[in-house]
Amino acid sequence: MMLGAFLLTVALAAAPQAEPASAAQASPVATESATPAAEAPAEHAPAAAATTGAAEQPHAAAEGESHGTAAETLMHHVTDDPQYRPFGMPFIFPGGKHLFFLIFVMGLVILVARLAIGSYKNGAPQGIGSVVETLVVYVRDEIALKNIGHDGAKYTPLLLSFFFFILFAALFGLVPFTGTSTGNLSVTLALAAISFVAQQYAGISKYGVAGHFKNLVPHGLPAPLLLVMIPIEVLGMFTKPFALMIRLFANMLAGHMMITALLMLVPLTAQISQSLGLFMIPISLGMALFIMCLEVLVAFIQAYVFTLFSAIFIGMYAHPSH
Amino acid sequence: MDNPTGLAYLAAGIGSGLAIIGGGLGIGKLAASAMEGIARQPNASGEIRGAMIVAAGLIEGATLFALVIMILLVIK
Repeated sequence: MMLGAFLLTVALAAAPQAEPASAAQASPVATESATPAAEAPAEHAPAAAATTGAAEQPHAAAEGESHGTAAETLMHHVTDDPQYRPFGMPFIFPGGKHLFFLIFVMGLVILVARLAIGSYKNGAPQGIGSVVETLVVYVRDEIALKNIGHDGAKYTPLLLSFFFFILFAALFGLVPFTGTSTGNLSVTLALAAISFVAQQYAGISKYGVAGHFKNLVPHGLPAPLLLVMIPIEVLGMFTKPFALMIRLFANMLAGHMMITALLMLVPLTAQISQSLGLFMIPISLGMALFIMCLEVLVAFIQAYVFTLFSAIFIGMYAHPSH
Repeated sequence: MDNPTGLAYLAAGIGSGLAIIGGGLGIGKLAASAMEGIARQPNASGEIRGAMIVAAGLIEGATLFALVIMILLVIK
């Protein structure tokens, strides 16, 4: 079961590879369009002080040189970087920062799985294996079997792949000088697309194509109601993975933006006065540390929630209400 | 209008605040009811917690939709 789970992880992680590659090509446009807009709020504060519109333009431009870097750093921290040099190495990784950490985390997941499998002695896990086993058994019993039912074991490898990939990506992203690949909409899109395929497969493999779509609406509904129900259910089919995509992306992005913004308080207040900047250091570090601890919790919760919702949706299609 | 993009920032600020109020109220009410349920039936705490997380996830999802719209307003 474990081996199957992590073979699927390979397939899972290989699938989004195409996505970030195209995203990386698109991202120079995205970052360029994002950064001037992000700079703008920083410019607006001094610009508001200058009451005349004519004085606003050169003033804002001059301020942009020094203040714009704060917003730029914030956006740079969370967006994909196509010119990424892994850990400061003297070469550019083709495909960008998020693709690099996607592959890195993929390798990490496989490594941890191999170590966990290798740690079994006389049928009992040792060390890392017992930690992984706890999570695997939890996902199997509490998520897969409970929400999908007796055929949940078939989907457990996929759900485990989701769980461990999202967990590791989020936890590894908290290490300084790294990035979170799930903070990229393309990566979460690929994960949600895999979840969508699994949901549809669950229905189609059990009832056939015609039966699957017939099951979308409950039987015995009056005909006028069908006019409303069918579009809603077809729409719901796509909103489910869409919600999965947005939820994971926004959670990962928001946490990292929060940590960076709190740490940015020090240079921003130091621009007002140096002593205020020094005074801000413990406050800023304390708040950033708090959010960081919260992010560890969020990593587990988001991995759990993504897996749980995938399982619920698979179960919904595998056992439609009649 | 001097600076129409300023209105977009204003809208994003007010909108994200409103979205957070809604989400906070929703999850707060949910957590309060779950606490009450656990206090009345401590042996059902596991099931109540599971159901609470599912509902919290759905509320959070709806809130995040709003927040993504706000982010789009700011970076466009």
